This record gives sequence, C-alpha cells and structure tokens, in this order.
Amino acid sequence: MTDTPLNFGDPEDLERLRHDFRAWLAGHPLPERPADEPLPVFLHRWHRQLHSGGWVGLDVPEQYGGRGLTALHQVTVSDELGARGAPGVPRIGYLAHALLRFGSEEQRRRLLPRMLSGDDVWCQGFSEPGAGSDLAGMSTYAERRPEGHYIVNGQKLWTSYAQYSGLCLLLARTDRAAPAHTSISAFLLPLDRPGVTVRPLRAANGDDEFCELFLDDVRLEEFERIGAEGDGWPLAMTTVAYERNAQDTGHLSKYGLLIERLRRAAHERRGTLPDGLLSDIGRCAVDYQVLVAHARRRTAERLAGQSAGPESSVDKLLMTRAEQRLYETALKVFPEELYGEGGEVLGDYFYSRAASVYGGTSQIQRNIIAKRLLGLPVGPRA
Amino acid sequence: MERDEFTLVRDMLRAFATRFRSGSADDVKAQTRTDAQRALDELGLTGLRRTSPPAATAQECALLAEEHGRQPLTTSLLGTALLAPELLRLLDEGERAEPVHGARPTVALAGDLRFPDRDAVGLVAWDCDGADTALLVHAEGRVTEHELGSPAPTADLLRGVRRASAEGRPVGRITPGAHRSWQAYALVVVASELVGAARAFVEQSVDYARERHQYGQPIGSFQAVQHQIADATVLVEACTSATRYAAWCLDSETPGRALTAARVAKAEVNSSAVEAVYAGMQVFGGIAQTWEHVAHLYLRRALVGATTLATTSDLLTVLAAPEGTR
Ligand SMILES: Cc1cc2nc3c(=O)[nH]c(=O)nc-3n(C[C@H](O)[C@H](O)[C@H](O)COP(=O)(O)OP(=O)(O)OC[C@H]3O[C@@H](n4cnc5c(N)ncnc54)[C@H](O)[C@@H]3O)c2cc1C
Repeated sequence: MTDTPLNFGDPEDLERLRHDFRAWLAGHPLPERPADEPLPVFLHRWHRQLHSGGWVGLDVPEQYGGRGLTALHQVTVSDELGARGAPGVPRIGYLAHALLRFGSEEQRRRLLPRMLSGDDVWCQGFSEPGAGSDLAGMSTYAERRPEGHYIVNGQKLWTSYAQYSGLCLLLARTDRAAPAHTSISAFLLPLDRPGVTVRPLRAANGDDEFCELFLDDVRLEEFERIGAEGDGWPLAMTTVAYERNAQDTGHLSKYGLLIERLRRAAHERRGTLPDGLLSDIGRCAVDYQVLVAHARRRTAERLAGQSAGPESSVDKLLMTRAEQRLYETALKVFPEELYGEGGEVLGDYFYSRAASVYGGTSQIQRNIIAKRLLGLPVGPRA
Repeated sequence: MERDEFTLVRDMLRAFATRFRSGSADDVKAQTRTDAQRALDELGLTGLRRTSPPAATAQECALLAEEHGRQPLTTSLLGTALLAPELLRLLDEGERAEPVHGARPTVALAGDLRFPDRDAVGLVAWDCDGADTALLVHAEGRVTEHELGSPAPTADLLRGVRRASAEGRPVGRITPGAHRSWQAYALVVVASELVGAARAFVEQSVDYARERHQYGQPIGSFQAVQHQIADATVLVEACTSATRYAAWCLDSETPGRALTAARVAKAEVNSSAVEAVYAGMQVFGGIAQTWEHVAHLYLRRALVGATTLATTSDLLTVLAAPEGTR
C-alpha cells in the first residue's frame, strides 16, 4: 500500500480513448442474443466483435496481439461498456497473465494472439472432487515417459464452460513424492485429445455452466507443458490472484447497469416501496462504486510496480459483497421473478450465491489475508 | 507539491503526531490541547489550499488528513488548515463582498454537524481548536462569518466544537460549481481522517493479536480471530480506495463527478470505519472496554464522524435516485 499520491491516469489520454471507443461503438451495435442461445456463445460473439475493433487486450504487449497500452486503458474500455449497457470485456486477463509470466516465448507468440482474438477459448482445470479449497491435494497425475511425453490420468470438477472451450489450462501432479507445492505442473490440454471426456453439470440456476472432466491415458507432449516441471503451483497462484483482481474480471459494468435499472423501477413505484428498499439500492450503488474505485486504485498501484498477490483476496471479497447484496436487492425490487417463470434476475441471483465459492471461497480469502497479507501466526491446524 | 516535497510535509506531520498523540482519554486536557495546536500551527499548513491554483492537490490534503487521523490528536487540522482556507480560495474565485475578520477561521456546521440546510438551527464552529471565527456556507451558496461561543458537547473527546452565533456577517458567495467542489472536498477530507483512524486502530489490533497469548498460543493464530481481522482489513481497504479515488476526482474530474465519488466514499466510511473499529475492539478483548485504553477514542471519532456533514441515510437516498433525476 502506498501512502503517496497515486497516478490514476492521464484524464486527457483516457478521455481520447473513451472518445475513440464511443465512435467505434456507434458503428458497431451490440449483437442480439436469441432466446435459445447460451450465454457463453453470445459472449463469445461479442468478444470477437470487440477484438475486431482492437478493444481486447489493450494492456498486452503488441508482439503478442495486444496494443501495448496500460491496464488503465483496459479499465476505461470496461467502464465505457458498462455505461453503454454492453456486456463486459472478455474475462481472459488472468489466463493471459499466467502465459505472459510462465509461458515460453514460443508459447506466448503462438497462444496469446489466438486467446485475445477468441480463436481459442480456454477453461481452467484446477479443482478436483477431492481437492477444492485444498488445491495442493490434487491427485490427477501426469506420468513422464522416457520418450519425453506425458500420460495423464485423473478427474477435474467444476471446470466452467469446458463444453464451449477448445483448450484447458490443466494442473496435474508430476511427482508423487515431492511436497505438493513443488510437484505440480501446468499443461495446455486440447479438449479434443483422445481420452478426454467432458460432461456438463447443471447449475442451481438451471444453466449448464460447469463440467466434469475425465482424463484417461491422455497423451500430452513436452512442448504442451507451461513453465518448468514443478512450476504449476506458482502459476496457479498467479492465475487465481489475477482472477480475483477486480479490474481483470471485466464484468463490473454489469452491476452498474442493474443498479440503474433498480433505481428507475424504484423511482416509478415511489410510495409503494417496502421499508428500507431505497437505502438498500443506495447501498448497492455504494458497493459498486467502491469496487470501481478499488479496481482503479489497484490498477494504479500495479502500474507503480506492485504485482498481483494476496491483496487480490480483498478484491474478491469486495466483489462478492457487491454482487450478493445487489442480487438480493434486485429480487426485492422484482419479487415477481420468485413467483412466475423466473427470469434473468433470479438466474443471476443464484449465480451470485456462487461468488463466495468459486475462485476460492470467502473463508479461504480471509485465511490468505490473515496469513499472507497481515502475517498473522499459523494456527494449530488449517 | 513535488513528490519529495509532499513526503517531507507528511513526515513532518507524522513526527508531530507521534509527539502530541493522546495516550489515553486522561491526556486530553486544556493545556495539552493548546500546546498541540500551537505546534501544529507552526508547521504552517494553512497555505496548502489558500492560493489558486492551490499549493497542494486535494489528493495530497486527503493523505495528510489520513495521517492526522492515525493517532488520537486533539488538533484542528481539518477545520483550520484544510477546510476554511479552501473555502476562502473558492470565495476568491467567486464574488467576495467583505474581508474576513478572523485571523484563523474554521468552518461552521449545523448543530447536528451536518451540512447546513435552509433552516439549520444551532450552528456550531466545528474543529475549532486555535480558531477565532467560523465560516458558514449556506445551502444557496452565501458565505457568512460567525462568532465563537461556549464549548459544545460532543462524544468525540478529541474534536473541539463550540457554539457559533446565529447571525453572521456576509463575506461573499460561491458559485454552484464551487459549492459542489466544496462539499466534495469537505466530505473527502473528513472521510480521510476517519480512514486513517480506522486503519491505524486495526493495525494496532493486528499487533496485539500477535503478542497476546491464550491457551498457550498467540490469539492471532485462531481462525475466528483471523477472519475478524481479515474482514476489518477488507473494510479499511474499501474505505481507502473509495476516499483516495474521490480525492483524485477532485483534482481531475468535473465537480459533479467528484461530488458523486465523495458521497460514495463518505457513505462507505460512515459504516465501515465504525465496523472496523468494532472488530479491532473485539480483538483487544476486555482491555479495549476501559477508559484508559485508546480504543474508545477511535470509536468516538468514528461514531461522530459517521454523522458529520452527511449521514449514511442522507447519502444513500441521493445515490438511490436515477441518474437523470439527481
Ligand atoms: C460456479 C463455479 C464455477 C467454478 N469454476 C471453476 C473452474 O472453472 N475451474 C476450476 O478449477 N474450479 C472451478 N470452481 C471450483 C471452485 O474453485 C471450488 O468450488 C472452490 O475452490 C471450493 O472447493 P470445494 O467446492 O471443493 O469446497 P470445499 O473445499 O470442500 O469447502 C467446503 C466448505 O469448507 C470451507 N473450508 C474448506 N477449507 C477451509 C479452511 N482451511 N478454512 C476455513 N474454511 C474452509 C470452505 O470455505 C467451504 O465453505 C468453480 C466453482 C463454482 C461454484
């Protein structure tokens, strides 16, 4: 944490970018989402459209398909989308950062441009039935053969959108004897590889979001390993730190939209509002704007040289707070979704309940803050 | 200010704060208050916001207010060095009717410490140690100067508050844009001091959790304690982000945007600073419930601060209104 003034960006430079982006948006209307189109498919079309205008990966170096600008530029684009009622920018920042840091030069040049353009869609194969919070306990095993390749066996769970993805960032143990934190490696797994079975699981809101992944004697080549053997743990920590980072999630803007919808609805129904609802809405606005301010501050700190680390657990908890309170309030404003056929708000409400579980549960975030950010002593056990 | 110049000023304030901090409620005496204020005045901070363009940015002033809030201090940095000079600066840009008589004015607020509205009763001079008059901004932008009266009671044992005369001498007006900036600046400066207080108190509770042993281990090793401290840390970070961003908006964005950001910051701080102090007090256990311990000095500051200028309900009502109607 810095206690000198922070640089939140050059307003003129960012205003110019905002202006260019608005001009582009004017000529490129949002795609329509047909009623039967799954959300990930719709978002993917949107991703490609944004990329065609040069609006994805603004802070990724040019040689890897980005624009070589700063994270503040990326945040500005995300902000503007929110203001326009558009879906947020694609959530690929955390994968891109893992590749930037751990990938070989060849992998960065081959994989990053395709990730940014949406040619490759990635998913994240970390969790397992027996290894959720305690990721170090994973048992998927990649056995190295004398010829140099690996044979992988195991099962992954909760792999979001694997059914829509071509590639998976896979974690597997490469050494059964060494301590967990040095015995895990990361791989790039093409999901059409023989031996891979993807089975969608239905989520509480009725959507097919996450999947089970079964790996039976799957062959992976040495060049498909990301980083050195045993680098999987630090790579995973980098990935989740960015995944928890408010500015890298790209979808903050959707909260802003819903809040304005709630404000309007409440304004029209003035007089018949349940007690306290107006202040609940005001509180949601505060949570959201605090989150935006926090994302800006973290971006500014990152530009000043701090990398993503345990502080991103703070981001994750603030995001969870904003999201859960917002959808609880939304259901109070639109109670009809509880009695009728349901609807988007009810679906998003269910998804918001998962916010305190995915990407590391809220308890795990608190553990990280206590131990790694504040350096509190290690407990009796846990 | 240049960055190293700012660091110098901040370090000066830090050294001052370490010297004049109240170790407990019993240290808060008339003589120590006067000595502390005199020492603060010698740092010459009233010039930071007096000129146009100001010598220090709003962001720098907010950081100084944060620093001031970290220790239990009785000095009126906010009222006399930051807020009143800013008002005079904004006044100069608008129309100025009469000179200000006081050599060292502070600001006047409604009797309940909120921004005065049209029929504010029982004015007070807020944060008035070392001050000789108080400047009031009326709801429609008129500015008047008021005489100081007897001390007004407040639960915040550190803050100097006195009654102010109902009638004031007109000294000028500020434009509607300047009025928005003024409100935003005042909200940010007050919020910043509370952020500093909450952060420092939570840090003290973290240190205590490392040292204090029960059941043969540091209490900070118990997960229930860790989670309470983690939650308090999240609240402090939220307050910090919102307030620092709002301060930056004052330097870089329109007064309207800056005011929205400042309202958000104050709303967050109003609830979260108090929550964070509660968490810290829980970690300290019994000792924090005594008169001698500094905990209640922080709690008092946060409690009263949460209603100063704008209450949570004032702010949430405004922030719940659709964008076009605000
Ligand atoms: C919608 C959704 C999408 C997901 N997407 C992906 C994905 O794409 N890729 C992927 O790899 N994973 C994904 N996950 C998995 C997610 O990361 C795990 O669910 C999460 O880490 C928790 O693991 P678990 O479900 O096994 O719960 P458990 O670890 O069994 O935890 C159960 C409960 O015990 C608590 N607990 C456990 N250990 C501790 C401790 N040490 N201290 C205090 N409390 C503790 C937890 O907080 C929780 O409340 C997704 C999950 C969801 C819900």
